[in-house]
Amino acid sequence: MQPFVFPRWSNKLVHLAGAVLSIAPLYLIGLVWYGASPRTLDVGYAPKQPVPYSHALHAGELGIDCRYCHQTVEKAATAAIPSTETCMNCHQRIHTRSPKLEPIRASAASGLPVQWTKVHDLPDYAYFNHSMHVDNGVGCASCHGRIDKMDVVAQHEPLSMGWCLDCHRAPEQFLRPVDEVTNMAYEPPSGQTQLATGLELRRAHEINPPTDCSTCHR
Amino acid sequence: MPSMNEEKRYWRSLAEHATSPQQDEARPEFEAPLAPPTQQERRHFLKLSAASVALAGAAGCRWQEDHLLPHTQQPEGVVPGIPRYFMTAMELGGAGVGLKVKSYDGRPIKIDGNPAHPDSLGGSDARHQAAVLGLYDPDRSRGFSTLAEGGRKPASENEFRGFAREHFSALQAQKGRGLAVLAGESSSPSLADMKARWQARFPEARWFEYEPVSSPNERLGSRLAFGKVVRTRLILEKAKVIVSLDADILGSRPDSLALARAWSKGRQPEAGKMSRSYVFESSLSETGAVADHRFSLRAEHIKPLAAYLDAELSRRLAAPAALGAAQSAPSAKFLEDPELRKLLTAMIADLAIQPGASVVVVGATQPPEVHALVHRINAVLRNVGTTVQYLEGLDSSEPSAPEALRTLNEEIASGRVQTLLVLDSNPVYTAPGDIDFSAALAKVPRTICASLYVDETASLCSWHVPLAHFLEAWGDVRASDGTISIQQPLIAPLYGGKSAIEILAMLSGDELPWGLQIVQRALAPVVGNAAADPRLWRKSLHDGIVPGTAAAPDHPVLRPIASFEYAGGALSGLEAEPGQLELVLAPDPKIYDGRFANNGWLMELPDWATKLTWDNALLVSPKTAQVLGVTDSTLVTLSMETESVSVPVLVAPGQATGSVKLYLGYGRTAGGSVAGRALAGGSVHGEWDDQASVGVNAYRLRSKRLWDFARGANVKPTTEKYRMATTQDKHTIDRIGKFGTDDRLPMLVREASLTEYEEHPDFVKHAVHHPPLLSLWKDPVKYEGHRWGMSIDLNKCTGCSNCVVACQAENNVPTVGKDRVYMGREMHWLRIDRYFKGDPEQPEVVNQPIPCQQCEHAPCEQVCPVGATSHSHEGLNDMTYNRCIGTRYCSNNCPYKVRKFNFFNFHEDLKEEKNKVQQMVYNPEVTVRFRGVMEKCTYCVQRIQEGKFRASRENRPLRDGEVTTACQDSCPTQAIVFGDLNDPNSQVSQRKANQRDYSLLEELNVRPRTTYLALVRNPNPELG
Repeated sequence: MQPFVFPRWSNKLVHLAGAVLSIAPLYLIGLVWYGASPRTLDVGYAPKQPVPYSHALHAGELGIDCRYCHQTVEKAATAAIPSTETCMNCHQRIHTRSPKLEPIRASAASGLPVQWTKVHDLPDYAYFNHSMHVDNGVGCASCHGRIDKMDVVAQHEPLSMGWCLDCHRAPEQFLRPVDEVTNMAYEPPSGQTQLATGLELRRAHEINPPTDCSTCHR
Repeated sequence: MPSMNEEKRYWRSLAEHATSPQQDEARPEFEAPLAPPTQQERRHFLKLSAASVALAGAAGCRWQEDHLLPHTQQPEGVVPGIPRYFMTAMELGGAGVGLKVKSYDGRPIKIDGNPAHPDSLGGSDARHQAAVLGLYDPDRSRGFSTLAEGGRKPASENEFRGFAREHFSALQAQKGRGLAVLAGESSSPSLADMKARWQARFPEARWFEYEPVSSPNERLGSRLAFGKVVRTRLILEKAKVIVSLDADILGSRPDSLALARAWSKGRQPEAGKMSRSYVFESSLSETGAVADHRFSLRAEHIKPLAAYLDAELSRRLAAPAALGAAQSAPSAKFLEDPELRKLLTAMIADLAIQPGASVVVVGATQPPEVHALVHRINAVLRNVGTTVQYLEGLDSSEPSAPEALRTLNEEIASGRVQTLLVLDSNPVYTAPGDIDFSAALAKVPRTICASLYVDETASLCSWHVPLAHFLEAWGDVRASDGTISIQQPLIAPLYGGKSAIEILAMLSGDELPWGLQIVQRALAPVVGNAAADPRLWRKSLHDGIVPGTAAAPDHPVLRPIASFEYAGGALSGLEAEPGQLELVLAPDPKIYDGRFANNGWLMELPDWATKLTWDNALLVSPKTAQVLGVTDSTLVTLSMETESVSVPVLVAPGQATGSVKLYLGYGRTAGGSVAGRALAGGSVHGEWDDQASVGVNAYRLRSKRLWDFARGANVKPTTEKYRMATTQDKHTIDRIGKFGTDDRLPMLVREASLTEYEEHPDFVKHAVHHPPLLSLWKDPVKYEGHRWGMSIDLNKCTGCSNCVVACQAENNVPTVGKDRVYMGREMHWLRIDRYFKGDPEQPEVVNQPIPCQQCEHAPCEQVCPVGATSHSHEGLNDMTYNRCIGTRYCSNNCPYKVRKFNFFNFHEDLKEEKNKVQQMVYNPEVTVRFRGVMEKCTYCVQRIQEGKFRASRENRPLRDGEVTTACQDSCPTQAIVFGDLNDPNSQVSQRKANQRDYSLLEELNVRPRTTYLALVRNPNPELG
């Protein structure tokens, strides 16, 4: 019996397989690298909220300061989602019949909270403190982006550890005077670069953010 | 070469003591070698790994969606995430301790002592620390219930109210005839007020006070001595000589926290303040552990000893005639012991030359005449007015006696009780063996039990009312000096529980139904009308004490005391007589009378002396064990009169020869999923996991004859062994065998007598000699900014172990259960190493708390392959859990053995609906660790961070003492000090400048940040 002989064209398969085998791992690494990074996965996350609250309207057009609603941002770790009462301060007079505000009115009537969906969700083992950043001149927009232009809040930055460290290692890239923290459209004073003002602020206020593990993990 | 002679040797366990230094044998690290996996297990493991890889891809790309639930109305002054602190108080056995509770977003999560409270001074004990776990215990009763056919049936509050209204108005019509109340002892003014109102409404009702572990002897003794009941207050700061006759003044009195602080003030050799204590006791106590001279003596020998002291001191100091005749020195056999004789002679001389500067204390369980005699001895020593004070009018003239339950039982038997209200008491469990209280309950037509759990008693009562936890209810307590504290609730009752005063108000139809109103009404004489002018009320709430409520000092006149007669074995010799052993029953140092038995933190806390967890065992002295032919963990039948129990033996150094001890509080049959329940037959509650009772019920041995201690116990060994989980020889610092141990122990615990210390104040520097220390590494960091460090003063540590539970509460440390403690897998971040020295019958004891030493050249950091443990710029060894892959190299390389590994996910069962409530106990500032992760003491890094944040927000530098660790806060003697070493004025820097300062294993050059102050004892030079 004749032994089986691979046809000549099958030689090409060997090259092909070699090419695939050498590229596939690279492709896979690239895929995971890109695909699983927080920059791909998390940036742009914009869940639907129970009330179609527009920051673009309230913070942008109406110019309400961030701290009117997120009032604990200077005092505590969390910036605090406003209580129903805060909404009702205005909305018991304005748009009192708007169907969009129904959940707010229902909450005010029943005393049960509105269930908002968390957008900027850090892992439970990371301990972030808003007050320490806001009180040292890190602007809201530096991490949250131009909230005043968002109808639906979306995550603007990856909030990954590497991203945190980028700033902790060189905070001058983002520092601004403390009274400019909630200014969404902050620009460094004319004629100065961000780096120059940042460095000056860093020196003046002795801002040396630690990069120890226990800074955020405990 | 063993550098110390035989007498000076330290040892941790009897096994170690018995091993001669020549036997150089290394102990195995683990109790039982781990068996290699079988073929089956291996295949199963591979299958699982394959499946987990496959499933990893299927897991979602984003983690679970989280929700934010804001307030609807923001309460004023409340900032979410910023904890608030409130003062309250906890009562136990008729005395209250003021507490400061941390409330995080409305949940009480951490308890410390109230610095302004006279019985706390800021310290707190393990039971206070563990109270939050008790509050969120998922086994707690969740509502009203009635006894119906086929078990208990849940009922609504309204059903109960309906029953109560009808039943109690009928009772009122007949003036309360046939009504009886059984309650515990309480110092609460509101409860006393409600009791008076109750008795006015139901004049013929009976009220019984029964406290299973309190002893009336102190009060009876006071009446014998003075003709009235006064309370004794000790001023230990002023005492140069302290003599304790079976009294654990530092550990088991209601005012022990304050006494421990006062005692610690007299243990500062550098300040020239060193008291000297002589302790005679039947079993090793905290007071005995820190004593300068300790003698193990049976409890029955205390009476003749007191008489001997009285006779000798009266002769020496020429006691005033007004005090009457002294006791005649008894001719007791044990007093002829040459060692004891020598000790007593030296002690009496010591006492006689320092009149007015000593204090003699007797244990609460000793007979009344001994108490009376000790009052006399203190008078002879002219201590009254200086170190001993008397306070008037605090204790009721009729002390609650063990007989209360017996009387009630007889009343029931004679059919005179138709309705019984049991208020926060568990008589079915705590009744002595000769009273069958469950049978008695069956004879009462209407029984109502108010309790935290559906326990042994509640499950047999026709109605059960859920009791509010003390953190859920308004109330008040009195301190040992009479100071009133308001107990304010930290959280609304989780399960609709009612407090005792509210239940009394409800049943008696009081016009004020709410706890707050009742307390305000009762306290009106001291805080005024709180509704009209709340200022004093608010101040009292804020400070945690009502000002000016301490009792006034009394100057009672001592009466002559009749001469003693001795019964039983009081005059016997020191040696053991099998069959005539003395049995001592005492409340457990952790779970008390059994009421905290369902608290995992307390159950797993190693007993400070025996290091036993999850059990009670019969404590037997080494010599007695030899006579009886028993060894550790032999199961024996312990019998006293007609009752007997089967209990394992634990050979305990320091136990008196011929005296055996068993702790009460174990062997619960309806305790909960931690304390266990009866497995066969007596099943009472269906929803608990099947778990056998933990330990044995020692109450069954109690009888008319034996309450706290009595002679006549018999121990019959069996051939069976019982597995006990002790943490005795685990996590030992050395691993190089017996030679190493002997060489090293005197370096680990450095100790000198006061004379040696005065001659060589730098003696600690000579304990270890090593070549110059060179490092392989450059200093990793310069430590600019803060440089955290800790100092632990061994001279102040009593070994009480409160810090261990405090650490557990602060840092979300899991409990692992008996089996895993047995394998050496307990998770405590802080352990207390206890060393003995000398003769096992009369050992000296040293306690040494070991948290992570936070080395500057940390061996753990160098071996972590993933950088999960790393060095911070402030010198902490940070532990990053989410990086840890569980190689355990770090633990292997840690010379102090302080790292603990999560072998399992210990929070798994919290996912169950029923257990979810327990999640509320967690400190949200600390990660809850998962399986496969290494963990260790962090110096409470979350508190450091919070302190720095607070200082930064307020734009000021961090102050010394602003950041404290949890262990430091709980320590009653302030043995632990933490702070910034870069600040030369900080308390910790000053401690470290002390000449007694030394570090453990300094010869390894790991440069630990936690250092110790060496122990200095003050033995009588005459006995040198």
